[in-house]
Amino acid sequence: MAMTIDVERLEGNPPLAVVSLDGELDASNYERVIEAVRAAYQDGARGLVLDLANLTFMASSGLFALHSAVRIMRGDTPPDPDAGWGALHEMAADHDSTASNVRLAGSQEAIARVLERTGMSRLFGLDATRDDAIAALQGA
Amino acid sequence: MGESRRLAVAADVDRLAEIRSFVRDAVADFGGSKRLAADLVQAVDEAACNAIVHGYRGRPGEIEVEAAVRDRRVEIRILDRCPVFDPTTAANPDPRRAPRPTRSGGMGVGIQLLRSMAGEVRHHVRPGGGNVLTLVHAIDGPGDEEG
Repeated sequence: MAMTIDVERLEGNPPLAVVSLDGELDASNYERVIEAVRAAYQDGARGLVLDLANLTFMASSGLFALHSAVRIMRGDTPPDPDAGWGALHEMAADHDSTASNVRLAGSQEAIARVLERTGMSRLFGLDATRDDAIAALQGA
Repeated sequence: MGESRRLAVAADVDRLAEIRSFVRDAVADFGGSKRLAADLVQAVDEAACNAIVHGYRGRPGEIEVEAAVRDRRVEIRILDRCPVFDPTTAANPDPRRAPRPTRSGGMGVGIQLLRSMAGEVRHHVRPGGGNVLTLVHAIDGPGDEEG
């Protein structure tokens, strides 16, 4: 199944991008997610909602894309694939996910399980819906 | 007694969706829960992706997937013609640290997922060259959401 990526810009403080993923995120398409986040950041977005409500599968390459999104939205260079998990853990340790400017909205159960099993859920604010995620980022 | 089926696709990440669909349907038809299907789909995707990206490395080749049910156990085999690689003995991650996510579902998180989402994982060298990876899991009921 192909995956579609929809990007919506929201004005406000901070300006946000809502990136909605529909389908299955795997090794054939994860780079498009990284590109979409990079473009949103370059376009001025300083908060990111990844709307996963219609995402039915996420491979480890998708986890790599999510990790890259966190780095890009922090203004860092995207992670070197060989930089090591240690760097990711240090980031998770010094980074309170409730203060993260990347939030995941509407994860289905299978996706939530993958995030839990790999410890990746700690990197993100997690919300039931995209509106909750937007409110959390813009303090509405 | 049991049932078995087989899929063969070109070694291309664009074919992973077909492999996942094959596994999802097989587990459902064998009477497994949605959760078991999701876990095995995840494990098979990681294994197949590893073979395509790190085994074939862009060279033409084929990935075969076989799914069978025997004695209330689902058995899924992933076969390739790649250099021998045994994910069951590949560098065990430091247990104090989760493994790293690597590009294209590499050998970090992918192998951890593979191991954690199949009940049993066995590797054999394939006669004639290549690998056979066998994932086995007891069938739970469709209503049983434990896993």
